[in-house]
Amino acid sequence: MSLDHDLKNALRRQAPPAGFADRVLAHIEREEARKTPLRPFWWRAAAASVLLVLLGGGYAAHEIAQQREGERARAQVLQALQIAGEKVRYAQQEVREIGSHD
Amino acid sequence: MRKYLIAFALAVTMATPAFAQHLNLDFPGLAERAEEVVDITLDADMLRMAARFFGNKTADDRALRDMINGLEGIYVRSFTFTKEGEYDRGLADRVRTQLGSTWKPLVTVKSKSKENVNILADMRGDKIMGLVIISAEPREFTVVSIVGPVDIERLSALEGQFGIPRVTTGGKDNDRD
Repeated sequence: MSLDHDLKNALRRQAPPAGFADRVLAHIEREEARKTPLRPFWWRAAAASVLLVLLGGGYAAHEIAQQREGERARAQVLQALQIAGEKVRYAQQEVREIGSHD
Repeated sequence: MRKYLIAFALAVTMATPAFAQHLNLDFPGLAERAEEVVDITLDADMLRMAARFFGNKTADDRALRDMINGLEGIYVRSFTFTKEGEYDRGLADRVRTQLGSTWKPLVTVKSKSKENVNILADMRGDKIMGLVIISAEPREFTVVSIVGPVDIERLSALEGQFGIPRVTTGGKDNDRD
């Protein structure tokens, strides 16, 4: 008798708290959004390949630019030393001429 | 904060080696009048980069690379004109007056009809810490400034390579005035 009463009491119909249905629906929506399936493997592989190609291309472009800049600097060093050398040579010749007259 | 910034700036300025102070080689209006202009500015970073592009096979290559690695800068301004009198010959004096008391004339060539050349060295003890070459021709004005330790012996070892001549340091006075 007592058990029967307790069960009826425990399982009696109760009205849900205010806003319960809205909260449940909002939770379901959040879960659905979170469970968006991952992109397929081929798609990720393709993205990684594109990224690698971009990185590799950027590095190669940087190396080529460095090479060009270095070669330009080398040519400028040689030109500067040639100009300096030409002037020094002229001065030496003049000094030698004076020396030969002594 | 400002006080610390000023102190830091002063410390950096004073820490800069004397030979790193380079000349003002700005000649306003000259490039416009010149038929041909050579303007080379190579600071220490550019020289380090250039040095990597010199070979390592021969002793000359290595000597040149070592010399360049030790320099702080190479600056060239050269102006060629179509006719005489296109520039003020006093420009040479303007460059010379910028040089401090450590600068000594190595060679001075004066000519009425040809080229006037001044070669000056920044002497620190028996070491040359910079070289300035001023050449004033009737139709050409050239200034070369090499900043940093210049090893004359090493430079002379480069004779025949890249058009660099043998440079000798004699004890006698080389001035021709």
